[in-house]
Amino acid sequence: MTTTATSPQYDADVYTDAALLEPYEHYRALRELGPAVYLTAHDAWAVARYDDAKAVLAAPEVFRSASGIALNEPANAAILGCTLASDGEHHAHLRRIVAHRLTPRALRPVRHTVTEAAEELVAGLVARGSFDAVGDLARALPLSVVPDFIGWPEEGREHLLRWAGANFDSFGPLNERARAALPQCGEMAAYGAALVRDGNVLPGSLGAGVLEARDRGEVTEEQAMMLMLDYLAPSLDTTISAVGSAIWLLGTHPEQWDRLRAEPGLIPNAVQEIVRLESPIRGFGRLAARDTEIGGVAVPAGSRVLVLYASANRDERHFADPDVFDVARPEAPEQLGFGYGEHGCAGQGLAKMEVAALLEALARTVTRFELGRPERGLNNLIRAFSSVPVRVHTG
Amino acid sequence: MRIEADYDRCEGHGQCEARAPEIFELDDHGFLTHHYDGVELPAELEDAARGAAAVCPVAALRVTGAS
Repeated sequence: MTTTATSPQYDADVYTDAALLEPYEHYRALRELGPAVYLTAHDAWAVARYDDAKAVLAAPEVFRSASGIALNEPANAAILGCTLASDGEHHAHLRRIVAHRLTPRALRPVRHTVTEAAEELVAGLVARGSFDAVGDLARALPLSVVPDFIGWPEEGREHLLRWAGANFDSFGPLNERARAALPQCGEMAAYGAALVRDGNVLPGSLGAGVLEARDRGEVTEEQAMMLMLDYLAPSLDTTISAVGSAIWLLGTHPEQWDRLRAEPGLIPNAVQEIVRLESPIRGFGRLAARDTEIGGVAVPAGSRVLVLYASANRDERHFADPDVFDVARPEAPEQLGFGYGEHGCAGQGLAKMEVAALLEALARTVTRFELGRPERGLNNLIRAFSSVPVRVHTG
Repeated sequence: MRIEADYDRCEGHGQCEARAPEIFELDDHGFLTHHYDGVELPAELEDAARGAAAVCPVAALRVTGAS
């Protein structure tokens, strides 16, 4: 094992409001410092370069997810046992039970439902002329598709966005945002537990599949409760972020929108490019199971490792002109915004389908996005706009 | 050089088909067809194979025997 004599360090808190709003210079500095950089403020090793991030994600036996996802113990304890925070055979078992319903293969029959919902939504908003691309567009589609798909009953849906946001805030260091989030994560868990106890899920849904797996003895009651939440929280804010960023990017780069309108076949690649450039998930943690190294930097057993997807996706070592938005960028599908490997986002097929369906519907009528003043939300884990006012021009 | 597919891990994301249509194809049900399964790749497809392995989101493709 080759190791450097002194390990690179970085002292800034990368979770302050300012750093969350403008993270990219921090990421650039971290990439310059080395393959793994010790964050003194967070007692964690940041992995900010593309090759090293991918290597860490490809070695789940060394870089574990159980007790590793969040940068703080209470949050790790709260999610222990869900698919996201499990390893090895246990993880593969949990993922098989639910994730098969989310694969692109399984989603083929729902494609027309998503497309129709997107077309109806876009037609209404285009008729209005001006709207909020986050509140009216980005939130509307996932909220009209995902809770039905997962099978959540109508009552309780009004809390979903608040709970999902809290869930992601809790994954940061134990700062004020994470502390405020933890009780709300508890509310969400209690709600999910009640769904399992009462069997209160829509028939034929992913949630119903979880209950059937419990009835067959494939998962315990407790695992079923975790699985009920596993795919809900991550399917909302992430997609909402991508759609908000899409409208902002396409509004600020009208020539890219012209290109997509001329070549709608580029839309799937554009979705990858949007996720690359404005990665909804800043990064996830891992726990080093043994003494190891990352790109030659020694990382001791028990270390927290923070894999920065949003930085890897702008690594100039991998992507040419990484800060440039190019819907036709050939290497865009190599982006790590959905993670990679065993824990690669199970819902990415659905997410890509939703974003692409909205862009396809918009591309048929909208010639220009005239942007108002966008506002960013603050979340420890999710990078997103909270509002993108837009006026659309047609013809 | 060969490219191996882990069929248990494959979820049908279709990125390999987009990158290397000469090697991979998804059938009508989204299952993977591998045209060079267990055989050597022709030299002109080696780059496409590397590209396909790089874009598989669940790391189900592995290049072996590369020089």
